Amino acid sequence: MRNAEKVLSRKPKRWLINLFFGIALILALFISFQGSTINLIRLASFRYALRAMFNGFREINVEFLLGFGTYRFEEGITYMAFQTLAIAFIGTFIGAILALPISFLASERIVGKKAAKIGITVITIIRVFPEVILALIILKAIGMNPLTCVIAIGIHSIGMLGRMFSESIDNMDYSPIEALDAVGANTWQKIRFGILPQVIPELASTTLYRFDINIRSASVLGVIGTLAGGFGALLLLAGSDPNNQWDTIAALLVVIVIMVLIVDSVSAYLRKKLV
Amino acid sequence: MIKFVDVKKTYLNGVQALKGVNLEINDGEFVAIIGLSGAGKSTLLRLINKMIDITSGQLYIDDIEISSIKGKDLRMLRRSIGMIFQSFNLVKKMSVFNNVLSGRVAYHSTYKTILGLFPKNEKILALESLDAMGILDKAFIRADQLSGGQQQRVALARALTQEPKVILADEPVASLDPITTVQVMDDFLKINKEFGITIIANMHHVDLALKYATRIIGIKDGLVVYDGPASKINDDKLVEIYGRSLKHDEILGDPDVEV
Amino acid sequence: MSKFEISNGKKIVKPFNKIWIVLGVVIVLIIIFWQFITYNTAMFNLGELSVIFKQLFTPKNTILEQRTWSDYFEFMWELREPLWITIQMSLGGTIIGSILAVPVAIFASRNIFKNKYINAPFRFLMNIIRTIPLMLLVIIGVAMVGTGVLSGIIGYTVFSFGIMAKMFYEVIETADMSPFEALESTGANRLQAFSYAIVPQVFISFVSFLFYIFELNIRASAILGFVGINGIGEAISVNNLYNYDRVGATVIVLFVFILILQLINSHIRGKLE
Repeated sequence: MRNAEKVLSRKPKRWLINLFFGIALILALFISFQGSTINLIRLASFRYALRAMFNGFREINVEFLLGFGTYRFEEGITYMAFQTLAIAFIGTFIGAILALPISFLASERIVGKKAAKIGITVITIIRVFPEVILALIILKAIGMNPLTCVIAIGIHSIGMLGRMFSESIDNMDYSPIEALDAVGANTWQKIRFGILPQVIPELASTTLYRFDINIRSASVLGVIGTLAGGFGALLLLAGSDPNNQWDTIAALLVVIVIMVLIVDSVSAYLRKKLV
Repeated sequence: MIKFVDVKKTYLNGVQALKGVNLEINDGEFVAIIGLSGAGKSTLLRLINKMIDITSGQLYIDDIEISSIKGKDLRMLRRSIGMIFQSFNLVKKMSVFNNVLSGRVAYHSTYKTILGLFPKNEKILALESLDAMGILDKAFIRADQLSGGQQQRVALARALTQEPKVILADEPVASLDPITTVQVMDDFLKINKEFGITIIANMHHVDLALKYATRIIGIKDGLVVYDGPASKINDDKLVEIYGRSLKHDEILGDPDVEV
Repeated sequence: MSKFEISNGKKIVKPFNKIWIVLGVVIVLIIIFWQFITYNTAMFNLGELSVIFKQLFTPKNTILEQRTWSDYFEFMWELREPLWITIQMSLGGTIIGSILAVPVAIFASRNIFKNKYINAPFRFLMNIIRTIPLMLLVIIGVAMVGTGVLSGIIGYTVFSFGIMAKMFYEVIETADMSPFEALESTGANRLQAFSYAIVPQVFISFVSFLFYIFELNIRASAILGFVGINGIGEAISVNNLYNYDRVGATVIVLFVFILILQLINSHIRGKLE
């Protein structure tokens, strides 16, 4: 009897944890809403805004959407979607190719603890830059065009993929490497016959996952300049006068949702096959 | 021919694994090394292909002292010594064929092997090794789709493809069930008799060691306490090697007999 | 495909290596997609890169205007206001969105509600919302309630909702169901069984996701300035053309803040496990 009571009294009270968590949440909410003027009239206009949004869908300019009739294909929103896909695809590809050797340099088991620390630091520094900043920096050097976005996404992906790749390498089964040692293989051969065949399916899956995320980034990166590619021009247009651009917003929603859904399904299917 | 002269090995953490070993192993022998875990069996084996280096003494392979060998010479030494591991050590997601072919990498330049440009006769050699082990039909299947016994045979095929003079085996059947164990040990015997390759195997199961090997080396506490024909081992000698009578799991028993 | 014949006459065929097909497809895709990437080599100016770095991380020094290091650091100090606004928006959005995500995730979980007619619409809703970039959501927020913290909160809420819903339902589906089934067999309804059997398992993940999403939101805030949202993104977009030193200062402040967040996150994640 006494033992049970002792154990019960030592157990962290569930309701205490919940209370603590609840209070923390409410406090955080309070902080976040502090100082913002919640204009009640604006809130009432919510319904108006929703109705405007639905109207926006009806007003979509299909010619502009698909790029025919009065618009050339290159001016249509569909072209922008393909351009976004292109930016994300090539950016991810460059990122993956370059991340591979860098991940080796960041992997303890391949280059040793000291060298790996340098690799990891480099990767961490790359990772902290938001893609936008990278794009702005590159903008001056490469000019206002989609290539800037490609490079920005590429460099950012090197950081993200480099970290995940090196984790995969650190977690793999080392026994075949030991066997290759015993056979007389040198380092490159150990990589080619021991490391790569094991780790490539996992790396490919990670890259596909990264492509998923990059598609979303690529959709908005164009906002740094009207010629920067993708939906940038439209986003700037919509952002400058949102109340009267519901048709643009609606068109963007339609195209982006469809594009990303397709990419997501294809990517999920491929990743299942890789496992 | 492998010759140990007063070989000692002390690890960095101070553990004295071998305290002065003298051994001479001739070509074509089938040697089994037995003894308690931690007695020094693994260390002894790994000194031969320099996966571990000796602390003092001399180790000769074909009259060449190997302590100072490194770099390309080391790889040339290792390519003529095959090694079989308890957990097979195959690349699971790679095909059996590629696993076996990887045994030849030390025979070619880096650039050719990276691009997979092995000469056709070596590819045939790989397939013939698989055939010798009876698993030719599994050549292009992923290694992890094979059973344990088949995987160990792939490892054996990889070793054979090296065209080695010696095959070292570190508890090669410890992960296998009794029936597969006998099959794989038969393969070792076949390799020894048909190809004349020296076999040096660490064995966990004493009766297996006695059944297949022609020569037994008993290790206790880093020293050789028995070195002679398998026929001359008796229970007293075993007690000397193990320091006690044998435990249940150190005897495989006859898989066909109901216990 | 290649055929082999070994010395004893046996024959074997080596099948096609699929990796060439994959490589082929990738290369074709790259060629196709490259057509969409327009650029003008005449505008290339790689030397600019080092100039830009200097401009970012040193006080402004041009014919028209010279600033000092104390200006540089003073600007960083002034950033605390926009940073605070961004934190407010991210915090509010993360929390509200995540809380709203919980019931949706539960309905979408195949192991709690085994009815696919219930699961499917919620999953569909989640998938659609997840595809919309934060910027577009924030633009919609602005269109509804004007620029200001509230529009940001709306945008971040919907965004966080999408992310949390997916992550949370994945955790629920991989949770250990045995205590849940045990409770259902004692007569508890699904909600009760969920609270007592699943919640303890997934609570930790939920909190961990909260921190992760908050960090994600802060990272994403850098770009929002270009559509007129207040906050740290604004500091970047406003200064983008002529005040690179301020952009650099903003980057450093963001960098440090995200680093601190990452440290807190790993610390919390370590403690939770």
